[in-house]
Amino acid sequence: MTFRQFAFNNVIRNKRLYAAYFLSSLFTVMVFFAFALFAFHPVLSGNDMNTTVIKGMNTAAGIIYVFSFFFILYSMSSFLQSRKKEFGLLMMQGMSMKQIRSMVFLENMVIGFFATISGIGLGLVFAKGILLLAENVLIIENLHFYIPIQAIVLTFISFIVLFFLISLFVSYVLRSKKLIELIKGDKQSKGEPKANLFLTILAGALLAIGYGVALVAEGMLVIAVMVPVIIVVMIGTYLLFTQLSVYVIRRLKNKETFFWHKTNLLLFSDLSFRMKDNARTFFMVAMVSTVAFCAIGTLFGFESVLTSNVKITHPNTYSYQTYEKDEEQAEVAFIQETLQENHIEANTEQALLRYYKIGQDYLLIAKQSDFNRFAELINENPIKVNDGQLLVVEFEGVKFGQTDELLKQKVELTTGQTLEPSKLIYSRALPATDSYYVVSDHDYEYLPAPEDEMSYYAWQVIDGKEADLQVSKKLSNELPPYKFTSIEYKIYQLNKDFGTVLFIGLFIGIVFFVSAGSFLYFRLYMDVDGDKQKFKSIAKMGLTDKELKQVLTRQTVILFFAPILVALIHGAVALTALSHMFYHNLFTESVIVLSVFFAIQIIYFFIVRFFYIKQIKSAIQ
Amino acid sequence: MLNVKQVSKIYEGNMAYRALTDIDLTIETGEFVGIMGPSGSGKTTLLNLIATIDEPTTGEILIDGKNPHLLKKEALAKFRRQELGFVFQEFNLLHTLTVEENIVLPLTLDGKKVKEMKQMANAIAEKLGIQEIMKKRTYEISGGQAQRAAVARAMIHTPKLLLADEPTGNLDSKSSKDVMEMLESINQKERTTMMLVTHDALAASYCNRVVFIRDGKLFSEIHRGDNRQTFFQRIIDTLSLMGGNAHDLSSIRV
Repeated sequence: MTFRQFAFNNVIRNKRLYAAYFLSSLFTVMVFFAFALFAFHPVLSGNDMNTTVIKGMNTAAGIIYVFSFFFILYSMSSFLQSRKKEFGLLMMQGMSMKQIRSMVFLENMVIGFFATISGIGLGLVFAKGILLLAENVLIIENLHFYIPIQAIVLTFISFIVLFFLISLFVSYVLRSKKLIELIKGDKQSKGEPKANLFLTILAGALLAIGYGVALVAEGMLVIAVMVPVIIVVMIGTYLLFTQLSVYVIRRLKNKETFFWHKTNLLLFSDLSFRMKDNARTFFMVAMVSTVAFCAIGTLFGFESVLTSNVKITHPNTYSYQTYEKDEEQAEVAFIQETLQENHIEANTEQALLRYYKIGQDYLLIAKQSDFNRFAELINENPIKVNDGQLLVVEFEGVKFGQTDELLKQKVELTTGQTLEPSKLIYSRALPATDSYYVVSDHDYEYLPAPEDEMSYYAWQVIDGKEADLQVSKKLSNELPPYKFTSIEYKIYQLNKDFGTVLFIGLFIGIVFFVSAGSFLYFRLYMDVDGDKQKFKSIAKMGLTDKELKQVLTRQTVILFFAPILVALIHGAVALTALSHMFYHNLFTESVIVLSVFFAIQIIYFFIVRFFYIKQIKSAIQ
Repeated sequence: MLNVKQVSKIYEGNMAYRALTDIDLTIETGEFVGIMGPSGSGKTTLLNLIATIDEPTTGEILIDGKNPHLLKKEALAKFRRQELGFVFQEFNLLHTLTVEENIVLPLTLDGKKVKEMKQMANAIAEKLGIQEIMKKRTYEISGGQAQRAAVARAMIHTPKLLLADEPTGNLDSKSSKDVMEMLESINQKERTTMMLVTHDALAASYCNRVVFIRDGKLFSEIHRGDNRQTFFQRIIDTLSLMGGNAHDLSSIRV
């Protein structure tokens, strides 16, 4: 048996031990490949594609790659940690550290090579599915299947390089430890980190400050405080898991009425024994999941903000506005005809909107009858303006109007009479995102000469009937976008443009979330042998199945839900801050995103618990 | 106290293997019985059957007139925890717990009051002379101390029957002697019934009676008189009669 044969057999005959590391490597490769497959798709990388989208894709690929690096590094180091005893044994047989390193290097390259190949292979199998999903869910057209040579080459080279670098990194992970430490590795605690009272309080304080600032900030201030808040919360989270949790567990352990109560003894002694590893895992899982929640939540939030803004500012099904008189007749006739041809029944109104120079601004002043006609069109209540009255109208749902200034200004009529703003109302009747004035029909006649005139038409499809997307599309393509607006087509366009961005965001979010799951799996996997040993000896003394299940369930619950709960709270705070930034309520979106993640986590928990209990039980029998 | 009636154990599988054949054994309350025999003779199988860790293929085992093998799984686990005590060759202490916590573990599972547990732990620690290591972790104590802690754990709930599987197998001769003397004194003072499986003739010489098994069948049994030295010699003689030579017997053989 040569040394190479030994290293090779060590992997092949030890499949189960290596399976977890192999699978997580394979998964990482597959994710990267699926992304590359998508990014290199001819439809998306063609010339007509937005350069910012391509830039976004490349950035995303970079993020996934860098993350893959750390993820695989982490997987490997935790994998090597679990083999301490084996290394100790080999060293006792006279293997030098150099030989161990070269063995691990060889192993790692073998695993890396096969993981890359199978990751790409598996990715190819699912390629059609991924593209179909992208096509259907995200309104990206024509994502046909193709042989992704570029994606394959890129993935293969990237990951061979990555595995090579990581294999070299092994020397760092395998710092020369004392032989005795290696052999006793699994019995000796890495030490319970000491809880420092000051740091414990600091953890709570940092989190409180971070949350407080994030929740109080509004508008552009949110962007300004974002980075400091993220840093503060990150440090706070780290301290939460390394200090606060240690502190709490210590307090519980010292309280013997609690600690010595039934299975608590087993559960908490274990928790504190593994505290150092646990704290690190918890922190990572919490941060990575938070990133996932925020990435996806932000994108959904953006989409919802954009869509609802479009909907608010465009209350009419179709609208047409122009300053050019010559084309007006023909174009309006074309719209009417098209609607009639397609049997779309719509109410319509028309008005000439006049703009006046008042103070420094050009402002719209409308007359009561015009306003009321358009108000009726969108089922708003008509208003009554008395002679000599000046009404300020702010566009409902938009905060950009200069209402305050309008309330201070005066309008002079040609009769010499001065109108002063008397009342503020909110309406969406007329197409002005800036606030404007409404006067009575009588006063309207005596306004000075207008600076500008705009002809405005609005169509409102009769209640209960849908506009037709094809018609909207046709009209939008025929007429210039600064004149004609179809709310339906506008939202369709928005979703289409947003599809790619959303897909990338979803992808990254899912990658992070799934890898958070992997971290948890690794943590559990490293403990499984110890647990088997432990429960084997306890079972001999007499441990009922119920008690066994109880201990294991609680252990897994803490592992799975402590970090996720923290991440959920982080995510909820982040999304609240986001909604403050846009002055837009994102409650529904946040609840949907967070509860979907939570549901997935619950399912994952039950699956893992089932197999973990099964494994431990099989060891006992 | 313990009645083993016509017990046989056959391990099913590709090659069915008969580990025990028609074993009959009775142990009286307060008796200290050793089981000896060469490797593969079925000693540990017998112990596992009595310990209810394994089930006999035929025959029945009665502890205090009741057959624990008829109990359901849950009840069986409770039975082991409350009525039996175990001492293993490899100590089986949990390294995440301190010695004291290890000792009270069976009690905590039963939901006893902390004050009561403390009292019981202190009492047994004093009896076994391990007070000074109560707060230590398992990797900070020696093998002999670990085994004494394991005996304390097995004894804390004053079991009806204490089962020991090669308790001296991992210990040096001095520690072996300490542990065996401790078991002997528990047996005499507390009148706890004990059954010991061992290879070690010296350990076996602390028993009242030694039963020999060969090839899954009872071979013979000898009783201790007043003199432990002569008993030891008779054990050695019987072992060499069973096969092998007297000087082949080392204290540790797995």
